[in-house]
Amino acid sequence: MSPQTRLAHSRRRARGRWRVPKLDPAGAARAAELYRRQRALAIAPLALLFAGILGLPLVFALFPGLDQVRLLGVPVSWLTLAVLPYPALTLLARWQLRRAERAEDTP
Amino acid sequence: MDARIWALAGVVLVSAATFYLGYVSSRSASTTQDFLVARRTVRSRRNAAAVSGEYLSAASFLGVAGLVLKDGADALWYPVGFTAGYLALMLFVAAPLRRSGAYTLPDFCEARLGSRTLRNLAAAFVVFIGILYVVPQLQAAGLAFTSITTLPNWVGALLVTVIVIVNVFGGGMRAITVVQAFQYWLKLFAIAAPTFIMCVLFIGSGGPRGGEIAGLSEPLPPAFTENTTLHVETPVLLEVQDTVKLVAGGVVDGERVGGSAYWTPLGSPYEVDAGTELTFFQGSAVPVVVGAPPTNDLWLVPGGEPDDLFGTYSLMFALFLGTMGLPHVLVRFYTNPDGRAARRTTLHVLMLLGLFYLFPIMLGALSRLYVPELLVTGRTDAAVLELPMKIASGVWGEILGAITMAGAFAAFLSTSSGLVVSVSGVLSTDVLRGRVRDFRFATALAGGAPLALAIVLRPQDITMSVGMSFALAASTFCPVLMLGVWWRKLTWVGAAAGMVVGGGLVLTSLLLDTVSTFTGDWAPMIFGQPALITVPVAFLTVVLVSKATQNHLPGDVAQIRLRMHAPDGLGFIRDRAVARFGTPEERAGLSDGRHRK
Repeated sequence: MSPQTRLAHSRRRARGRWRVPKLDPAGAARAAELYRRQRALAIAPLALLFAGILGLPLVFALFPGLDQVRLLGVPVSWLTLAVLPYPALTLLARWQLRRAERAEDTP
Repeated sequence: MDARIWALAGVVLVSAATFYLGYVSSRSASTTQDFLVARRTVRSRRNAAAVSGEYLSAASFLGVAGLVLKDGADALWYPVGFTAGYLALMLFVAAPLRRSGAYTLPDFCEARLGSRTLRNLAAAFVVFIGILYVVPQLQAAGLAFTSITTLPNWVGALLVTVIVIVNVFGGGMRAITVVQAFQYWLKLFAIAAPTFIMCVLFIGSGGPRGGEIAGLSEPLPPAFTENTTLHVETPVLLEVQDTVKLVAGGVVDGERVGGSAYWTPLGSPYEVDAGTELTFFQGSAVPVVVGAPPTNDLWLVPGGEPDDLFGTYSLMFALFLGTMGLPHVLVRFYTNPDGRAARRTTLHVLMLLGLFYLFPIMLGALSRLYVPELLVTGRTDAAVLELPMKIASGVWGEILGAITMAGAFAAFLSTSSGLVVSVSGVLSTDVLRGRVRDFRFATALAGGAPLALAIVLRPQDITMSVGMSFALAASTFCPVLMLGVWWRKLTWVGAAAGMVVGGGLVLTSLLLDTVSTFTGDWAPMIFGQPALITVPVAFLTVVLVSKATQNHLPGDVAQIRLRMHAPDGLGFIRDRAVARFGTPEERAGLSDGRHRK
């Protein structure tokens, strides 16, 4: 098939609606398994995140003494709100990234 | 006067760098795919810097420090929510969204659910949220510009709009990717360097009252560091904890006053009209806006009343899920080459945002000591800009002020350019035919309409209206995306119903809240931040209506859904932008469905 012919053919073929590429049965089974696996993997980080976010206001309510404790002159309640969440979130995300990518890599 | 020249120089430098970078990266942009999704060539680190640059808007750069100054520990939740949203994005949306092969959010809706009606509805919401988000950016630019020049308010908004439109005209997404990535690092420098220097100066001088320990934990209100004269520009309700002596000229509590006055806790709150001039003396207590913590020890303690706790949770909910539904953030994930890069982008974004937010928080705490007068006028958003000149004296303070000003300007520019690109991408492909010239025409619209609104509307508190756009995004796009990726039985009718109900509820509560502020504050707190109710209602609507309309399931739903979860290596990403806008050669590459360059 000459390049020009191929071009003409493809033009005709591509004119139609965008179609979903079909997965072969093996690929479809793999994708379905990954779908379940990723969903299961996401539960733990989400639970940890909610525990952290919902838990912190509760901790402050239960232990009002935390405001008096100071580290280098800064109240502990400020440190736990202004500094702690960011490394914690990053670690959580990195952990989850590893798990999600490993799930995709191992057949 | 010198300070203004320095600040103006900073703004000019940022604008020039933005123009230059946009120009350089525009030269390789020629096709619709360049303009919409930067040809899907942006690697995860570059894209993460661009996402962060776009995301750190005026609300983050100026608003967070202002909120910390006003509300103290409770305001620390804002940056946590802004950041945590990206974890949700990584867990549920980033990779499948990219693997769908779509090029805008409405296009994703059509790819997943096969409905033009839903696509048009989504397009309308994208445009609406985009405009709702860009207007406060432009207004903040106007206010910031007015503070360094004598020019009227609209000049700053016009300047930002023009720079953004010119950049987007040249190269669309391709141009702004580099610009936004650069602006992230610029903003980080512009807030980190002044914070370091000011902290050193603060520790060196031992606090503003010269040696005397100026703690933020005493049960006292903040105090003026020098004799201060303030012009009240918007009407404000103030309360005092101790008797304060002051000189007032203007209208207080509806009566004309002139001369010395004593404000007492018994007489609080005092209603001060616009145009009033108040002079306070060094060392006297600072009156605060009603509703803000009046004394430093209350300011320092997180939480308190259950009403506050509910508001905190609702806000966190909106920020957490709203990030997942912000069209201008999501469209950046379409520029990654594959799903894996999209997922990695979110991790880098988390790190970059966490790094940034440390600094506005520190500035907010410092400004409680040095610029408490902002609590009286209610202009707490100006804290980052006014703090440097209070701490550092002379030319150094002016240079630091110019640096923060330049950073603020970068924030206005990067956020507005991301919003303009996302809105014009949707307008050009859904309303127009999607050629490059359509995109450019749409850009003029997407920049011009918000500019007109920004000039006409009254500026509101920046962060509050951004909080509203987050609530809107969380109640419209978030359920559709989450369920679209993870639930097989979703139908387009259900998705459309959820968007209409969720969006309608948020807009209604916004309307009621606005009406109530004019008619005596009768609306309960939930109307100010309704996400905790509207988001579950939206999810529920989507599920129930989808279950009732199972005959509208798209025909190839299993294939569509599985394709979003197939790893990139299998090569199932079929690029919808290429399929629609590509040259015949490019489309030939797609035709067997398994080939991706």
